[in-house]
Amino acid sequence: MESNKKYWKGLEEYNNTPDFVENNKNEFAESLPIEDVLSEAGLSTVTPRRDFLKALGFGLGAVTLAACQKAPVHKSIPYLIRPEEVVPGIPNYYVSTYKGNSVLVKTVVGRPIKIEVNPNAGPFSTGTDAQAQASVLDLYDVSKLKTPLLKKEESNWAEVDAFVKGELNKAQASGKKIRVVSSSLNSPSAKAVIADFAAKYPTTKHVQYDAVSYTGIIKANENSFGKAVLPKYNFDKADLIVSFAADFLGTWISPEEFTAQYISNRNNKSLEKGKMSRHFQFETGMSLTGTNADTRLPIKLSEEGPALITLYNEITGSNLPGGALANNVNADKALKLVAKELLQNKGKALVVAGSNDVSTQTLVNAINAAIGSYGTTIDLDNACQRYEGNDAAFAELIDEMNRGEVAAVFFLNSNPAYDVSNAKAFTTALAKVPLKVSFADRADETADLCDAVAITPSYLESWGDANTYQGFYSIVQPTINPVFNSRQAEQSLLMWSDNAIQDYYKYVRNNWEKNVLPFVGKTWKDVLQSGVVSGTAKTAGSYTFGLSLNAVASSIVTSSKALQKEIEVHIYESIPMRDGKNANNAFLQELPDPVSKVTWDNYIALAPKQAEKLGYKEFDVLTVKGENGYSVELPVLIQPGQAMGTASIALGYGRSKVGKAGDNVGKNAFPFVSFSNGTLKYATTATLAATGAKNELAQTQTHYSFEGRNIIREASLKDFLKDPAAGSGNHHKHKVYDLWTTDKHEKLGNDWVMAIDLNACTGCSACIVACNVENNIPVVGKDEVRRRREMHWLRIDRYYSFNDEKTGEGVTEEKEIAHMSNLDNVSVVHQPMLCQHCDHAPCETVCPVLATVHSSDGLNHMAYNRCVGTRYCANNCPYKVRRFNWFNYWNDSRFDNYLNNEFTQLVLNPDVTTRSRGVMEKCSMCIQRIQAGKLSAKLDKRALKDGDIKTACQQVCPANAIVFGDKNDPNSEVSKALRSERVYYVLEEINVQPGIGYMTKIRNIDSETKEVHA
Amino acid sequence: MSGHNESILREPLITGKNITYAQITDDILLPVENKANKAWWIGFIISVCGATLWVVAVSYTFWFGIGAWGLNKTVGWAWDITGFVWWVGIGHAGTLISAVLLLFRQNWRNSINRSAEAMTIFAVICAATYVVSHMGRPWLAYWVLPLPNQFGSLWVNFNSPLVWDMFAISTYFSVSLLFWYTGLLPDIATIRDRAAGLRKKIYTVLSFGWNGNVKTWQRFEAVSLILAGISTPLVLSVHTIVSMDFATSVIPGWHTTIFPPYFVAGAIFSGFAMVLTLLLVARKVLGLENYITMFHIESMNKIIILTGSIVGVAYLTEFFIAWYSGSEYEQYAFINRSTGPYWWAYWMMMTCNVISPQLLWFKKIRTSIAATWILSIVVNIGMWFERFVIIVTSLHRDYLPSSWAMFYPTWVDVSVFVGSIGLFFTLFLLFLRVLPSIAIAEVKLLLKSASEQAKMELIKDGHLNKEQVQEYVESLEKFDSVKQEEYAKI
Repeated sequence: MESNKKYWKGLEEYNNTPDFVENNKNEFAESLPIEDVLSEAGLSTVTPRRDFLKALGFGLGAVTLAACQKAPVHKSIPYLIRPEEVVPGIPNYYVSTYKGNSVLVKTVVGRPIKIEVNPNAGPFSTGTDAQAQASVLDLYDVSKLKTPLLKKEESNWAEVDAFVKGELNKAQASGKKIRVVSSSLNSPSAKAVIADFAAKYPTTKHVQYDAVSYTGIIKANENSFGKAVLPKYNFDKADLIVSFAADFLGTWISPEEFTAQYISNRNNKSLEKGKMSRHFQFETGMSLTGTNADTRLPIKLSEEGPALITLYNEITGSNLPGGALANNVNADKALKLVAKELLQNKGKALVVAGSNDVSTQTLVNAINAAIGSYGTTIDLDNACQRYEGNDAAFAELIDEMNRGEVAAVFFLNSNPAYDVSNAKAFTTALAKVPLKVSFADRADETADLCDAVAITPSYLESWGDANTYQGFYSIVQPTINPVFNSRQAEQSLLMWSDNAIQDYYKYVRNNWEKNVLPFVGKTWKDVLQSGVVSGTAKTAGSYTFGLSLNAVASSIVTSSKALQKEIEVHIYESIPMRDGKNANNAFLQELPDPVSKVTWDNYIALAPKQAEKLGYKEFDVLTVKGENGYSVELPVLIQPGQAMGTASIALGYGRSKVGKAGDNVGKNAFPFVSFSNGTLKYATTATLAATGAKNELAQTQTHYSFEGRNIIREASLKDFLKDPAAGSGNHHKHKVYDLWTTDKHEKLGNDWVMAIDLNACTGCSACIVACNVENNIPVVGKDEVRRRREMHWLRIDRYYSFNDEKTGEGVTEEKEIAHMSNLDNVSVVHQPMLCQHCDHAPCETVCPVLATVHSSDGLNHMAYNRCVGTRYCANNCPYKVRRFNWFNYWNDSRFDNYLNNEFTQLVLNPDVTTRSRGVMEKCSMCIQRIQAGKLSAKLDKRALKDGDIKTACQQVCPANAIVFGDKNDPNSEVSKALRSERVYYVLEEINVQPGIGYMTKIRNIDSETKEVHA
Repeated sequence: MSGHNESILREPLITGKNITYAQITDDILLPVENKANKAWWIGFIISVCGATLWVVAVSYTFWFGIGAWGLNKTVGWAWDITGFVWWVGIGHAGTLISAVLLLFRQNWRNSINRSAEAMTIFAVICAATYVVSHMGRPWLAYWVLPLPNQFGSLWVNFNSPLVWDMFAISTYFSVSLLFWYTGLLPDIATIRDRAAGLRKKIYTVLSFGWNGNVKTWQRFEAVSLILAGISTPLVLSVHTIVSMDFATSVIPGWHTTIFPPYFVAGAIFSGFAMVLTLLLVARKVLGLENYITMFHIESMNKIIILTGSIVGVAYLTEFFIAWYSGSEYEQYAFINRSTGPYWWAYWMMMTCNVISPQLLWFKKIRTSIAATWILSIVVNIGMWFERFVIIVTSLHRDYLPSSWAMFYPTWVDVSVFVGSIGLFFTLFLLFLRVLPSIAIAEVKLLLKSASEQAKMELIKDGHLNKEQVQEYVESLEKFDSVKQEEYAKI
């Protein structure tokens, strides 16, 4: 516009001098002295130096910053289209089945990370075992094959299918036999697939064998009652339990189910009613069941048969020959007492034996029939289908293969090259088979000998089902797509047999909709939600035993005589390793054996006096030479309670092709197993010789006596019935003096506490693995365990006390025990020990940086990020439950047991942070679960209910020995439990005010049982 | 202090004839102003090797983690805190000599206080390295300081004895350093005045402009006294607080109210032993026999008997109280100390700390340089074992027998400890070469009153009681730097 005024900024502009015009062109220019620099003289001027310093400063700073740390590149792919049910941070739960037991799988953003208990699962709704807990890690095992193998080369499914089908057609044409070898398969759909396969290839037979066999019981039942089944045992209905080497709380048939049953007659609820079952155990090695028995008698393997004959004679008044226990007076006395009590408890008693000998089990049947167990404590009409293996059938297979009659063999969930006694005979025979296919997930001992390895996904990636008891079905449903290029064995079999249904999911569903669901009135959707269906159970019939026992007795006596050598060797299944199939699972390898507390190894267990007699010290390496010539070198473990003249060796170790964690851990004991009278025998004899070497076993507990300290409080049932507070020390409480009387912390909201029933805890250790998985606890390996650095937040302390021959009093002090001449009468107690969340926590006051503090709801917190690692808190913890990260266990190649790769790290629980090196950690009472429980209650706009929050250890416990809850709620389970007169607090006298109450251990013993040992 | 004559009955604090102030300066500055002799080089090379080992071992620990040490879930402290307490204890003699003996006007301290203070500072440095290196995350060591920060409302825990410890040690270190350096000022000025070139420049800076006028001296004396006053409670407080690391815990064998006095006595005990270990060698190698005389050695030995006996009584008291308390855990802790798997450590401690110092009751042993030197080392071995016994044997078997474990050191544990000794000697040997190892100015105070020379003058004057003179002359027998024939002539 015309009227715009002109403003000028200075006289220069006003005057508009040529200088100004020139400068105005580039208003802010400050010309770079390039010319000066380039000219020689420039270098000496002042400006370039300053510019140089500026550039240097900037350059150096930029380079330093850039070089500081290379930010790790994490490629994360967002959900472009988010699956409806997946919300990051909110877990989903799916029912599935692990080894026949229904479970709940927790998945987080599509990753299965934890196995939980399926509350709808009937007999399996109380808890799970350690194996099930550890099984999530198997999914993320890097030692597995990623593609199928053909002739040991990586291949693809088209090639494998073409090859197998071609070979099958040749086999078909030749008319030779086809064999599908599996361990007991309790999946009805899988069985139907094999039946369909057999329909297509009629020479097919399904051979089932179990590494740890129950053929003896099945055959004995067939002989005795015409029913070739494993019965359903009802330990809950038994007031008197007599076990001959059956480790029914640890490994025998269905241990977690039996634990729940057994404990129901021994836990606090039962005791409050004044009732507790009585348990006698006669056994060679110290089993977990033996540690829980009220009265335990060590007997040699060769005495087991005669002992049963004695018992039978005492009960029935018959006079079978061979029932003399001349060298074991105590056992003899005990058997007389047992016989008397069995007769008093007819219909409420149960006798079980761990033997796999048909004759022995037949005699046990006779005893059970005589005391009226059938129809009450033993149910033959709703049989257990967990184990169906037939030892003879497998022996026959080897012969068939040797004769060249077998054209094709398929291995499904079985690894005979490792876990049969005559593996060598098997492998030579196998070489004669033209088509060998393994369905293993890795190139294991057997798969390594096969032409094709049709890799199978883990159960977490599979469809399937299980039929553990007749009329009781559970479903296996996948919780993640197959991670590797694997295919279910059943699917492969369907494809190779050109089945009309080529998809195993459809096959399972059809099978259920046709054969299961109509009879129980449920739909497929119901099953996918509840996980199990069960028909109405048949009434258990009572059976009478009518066989003549003379042949049985003479067979027993013959086997017994064959075992009478200087050292009788008992081959058993260990609780962490079981039959060795999961040997590559680092959680299980580092799980201490509940009795010996040994990790990462097997050993030869000898009684203390036996070792002394033979001149062996603990950890001496011995050459153990079996009667069949097989010999291994194993370190000695001194095992109180082991029978004199015997040794025990665990199965499941010495794998050679299982993977990084499990290879060459311990020695293989399967070759010691012998085959006679149609079944496998887990008893043999051996000669021992010292090698002069030492092998220190990695134990998590090395001191076995509790030194008379009142950390363990126990009472006999008799005393308990007179006074429920017997032995608890509750009558003599000290007066508590408190410095801080004016400074009480009110716990206004919740007060989280725990109650642990020592009478319910069997020591099975499932809780330890559950805690490891839930809280991302690192596995540290054998060397570190040896250095006493295992990281387990929860441990189970196991103490032995030796009962004096004369007085019957328990001797618990190491120095006195050293002077005892007889160490056979040993009592055991298991005490779960974890952070006690003390209200006067000694760890809290000493931390210089307040990294461990108390919360208003009674928890002892640990702030990892604040911890500088002085370890003062751990030193000052009277319970020694704090664990220090000595190294960066999850990111240090020296501790590569499992977690040092990104794939396996997917198993980590995202709700729990991993801890770095130099930081203290400990039990948080699953604070992430407490928070989740609180939040979900808040979202539902309701108050927190008792039972909403369960800690991982509590949830998994088959015995319900651990109760967690709010002490401020007087009606909570835990408040009720803590009001029991049995409750005491460990180390309460130092007034740290622990938050975990323990209930006294009650033993059903009396003068008569004490007399047995006198 | 030097205005009067000292009684002839007192043994001389400086020996030798024809000693003048100049002579004293020359004697003491001999190692500082000349090339090092062979003995120094041998010692220095060995020490530097040790210090290198320390660097390697500590770096290894920092790189891999505390797992490099033999610690475990039960024994969370072992050689680390043993070494820490041992070094802090050794440091105590310095403060006691410089502060307490100054306040009590014990002039004989003038010959040994400088080295003892230097020893204190180097020992506290060694101790401090343990404080940092024993942490799981040493790079966060500064978190134990109550620094204003931006981490949120994070603060230190004033209930924790480790925080008290941090205050105690840092205060102790700063006060000791200040006291030592203040005492050094006139001597540094002396070196400055005699030096030339670069050395002169350095010492000029270090001497803080000391000009030696009366006002400066007066202020110097005043500051010395004030610092002595501040330091004196530290002699008691530092080790008291260190002992509270244990005494305030709940662990049997640690939870003991006798710890504060017992630790202080032990600290002085080990400190004097270390002073003897160092000075017996230094006086020979540096030719300072005239200044650090038998009188000093004997005096220090007497303190060792006293403190050693206090420590012995404390050991027995602990046992009595364990029995008297009726607490089974306490009783077991002590029975286990003397008869458990670490019995040898306990009896090593008993022999070295309680039994062997009793030999010093014999004048012959007390005045024998060889015996004293050996015993001084024995005492420090014993004191190391005392801390090991307290820390490891209490921890390894505490309340729950399930957690009982053994501690086995690794090569890193051993290297860190041996290396810390190397570090200590490296620092000490460097000190001998750059600063006067005896307080020149303070020792000069003794020349006119308490030296052999002054006393001989007195004898020559002849106004003294004959018997007293006789006794004095006889007492000189044990002095290795005195020529007896000089007295025969008189």
